[in-house]
Amino acid sequence: MISSIITMVRKELTDAARDKRSVMAGLYYAIGAPLMMCGMFMILIGQITSPEALNITITHGERAPDLVKYLASNEISQGDEADRKEIELIISPDYAANMAKSQAAEIVLIADNSNEKLQASIRRLEKALQEYSAEMGSLRLIARGIDPKVMQPIKVKVEDQATSDSKGGMILGVAIFMMVYAVFISGMNLAIDTSAGERERNSLALLLSHPVSTRNIVLAKVAAVTIFAMLGLILTLVISKVAYGFVPWQELGFSVNINVDFILLMLAIGLPIALMAAALQLFVSFMAKSFKEAQSYLTIVLIVPMMLSMAASYNIAPDTLQWLPVSGQMQALIAFIKGKELPMMQLALSSAITFIIALALALGMERSLKSEKIVFGL
Amino acid sequence: MIKVSNLSKLIGEVQALNDLSFEALDGQITGLLGPNGAGKTTCLRTVFGLLKPDQGIAEIDGIDVAKQPVAAKQQLGLFPDPFGLYERLTPREYIRYFAELNGLSREQAKAASAKVLSKLHMNDIADRRCKGFSQGQRMKTALAQAIVHEPTNIILDEPTRGLDVMSTRVLRDLLRDLKQAGHCVLFSSHVMQEVAALCDRVIVMAEGRVVAVGSPQELCQQTGQASLEDAFIQLIGTDEGIAA
Repeated sequence: MISSIITMVRKELTDAARDKRSVMAGLYYAIGAPLMMCGMFMILIGQITSPEALNITITHGERAPDLVKYLASNEISQGDEADRKEIELIISPDYAANMAKSQAAEIVLIADNSNEKLQASIRRLEKALQEYSAEMGSLRLIARGIDPKVMQPIKVKVEDQATSDSKGGMILGVAIFMMVYAVFISGMNLAIDTSAGERERNSLALLLSHPVSTRNIVLAKVAAVTIFAMLGLILTLVISKVAYGFVPWQELGFSVNINVDFILLMLAIGLPIALMAAALQLFVSFMAKSFKEAQSYLTIVLIVPMMLSMAASYNIAPDTLQWLPVSGQMQALIAFIKGKELPMMQLALSSAITFIIALALALGMERSLKSEKIVFGL
Repeated sequence: MIKVSNLSKLIGEVQALNDLSFEALDGQITGLLGPNGAGKTTCLRTVFGLLKPDQGIAEIDGIDVAKQPVAAKQQLGLFPDPFGLYERLTPREYIRYFAELNGLSREQAKAASAKVLSKLHMNDIADRRCKGFSQGQRMKTALAQAIVHEPTNIILDEPTRGLDVMSTRVLRDLLRDLKQAGHCVLFSSHVMQEVAALCDRVIVMAEGRVVAVGSPQELCQQTGQASLEDAFIQLIGTDEGIAA
């Protein structure tokens, strides 16, 4: 009886589309979440990439104009008096003279080294001073016809392989998590409305007294919620595509490029997750006694997929998580967006597990709809 | 035809149905009369397969509800208590939806719901959403849903509750029409006048059992009382939970 399923899905969707609460719940998330993410990323990227200006007190800077200029090029300067950190640099009176005579010119750095907030700034200043000192030393050697390399018996060459990757890993995880989560949020209200709500309005018993099998009822409800969830996902992706265009990704060395390939992959991967989300939400809502109870249960239940995907983005136990539902798909999506090869095996398995969970929940629901306790809330 | 044989059902610690047997025949209006808590709704829900009896069977046109629920329900129309309307749908959509669920094609369902809407004089409200409907309008919508697919058997659970005179008349006329057309009409009620005015046969229920069966006149004769009300009180042995 495919036709009865189609009839029920059509009715559920008509009903849901007229339910402001269900529609708005999906819309708020699909529009709001990408925009909020976008704003957050802009701030975050700004913090990661451009070092803040370090303002310190430089006493008698006029005695070493070249040094002051060098520090300024490293964003270390006097700046506004109000913003200055408690670090003072004093240039000794004979600085210029010693410099000219190729002797050690003295600078005094005064700061409280036990103050943790200052430590990073002190280190930054020391590093800048050492670099300046090394540069001057090299120049002196060159003036004496000596290759400055003799002063560098060891040259440490740091090859940072993962800077942008590791910086971006979390950002990518959060961005993709936000999209995956759309599947859970968009259909949630409809799921509650069509199960706990339907019972509360007494139409569940009426529906069950018509000649349709409980299996078809369950399939129709899962299908309707899944369609709603997928619509939410599509909307989220479209809004994200537009919004992420404004984030200055190039400063991180990678970009969250939402192209057609990514959207298609996301939709393909999202479908089993949406099925599972729909089955899970309906199952829990049918167990609950009322609309409100279902809402509070679901809030708790939805923490599980959230934790799974959070764990995936923070790289907690990646070996196990890549096989599990939600987290496995998340890792595959992250790999895709980083331009790596898709872990097909893991993706297939985690999708299969997702699908099996959905199926098991649907079967459980079919059973529960035959139970008098569930139908009449006895 | 609706037939239940030896139905027993324990709900919690209450013996809601206790070896209940009766028949409701085609071309007759059968009233299930009993005080509140006699097991009327439980009995009707069992006929629909929503509740499983501990013992006994319910048959619709000879089909066992427990064994072939879908086939049995195709012969049934239900006017439930409470109505269970979808408030965001219009009566036209609502009626068409249930018509389709009963196996009518989209076109057939459309035609059938248009027919039943004019039969019940509902064309003025047919395309308004059910939210905010009066009790009479809700009743009509639920009733239309029960008869749109023209089932042989129609079951009504407390159909006249909360209705004004006009709505009650519409309902009565419709039930008589259905009877004329040869349908089997079974309704539960605890309202005497309703039962006396409409029913060909009355099944008096108390504590999950059938206490007496017969036409209103037969029941009066049987008990030697002048009115059905007095007959009823004598039959169930108490006047608790009855509306005159």
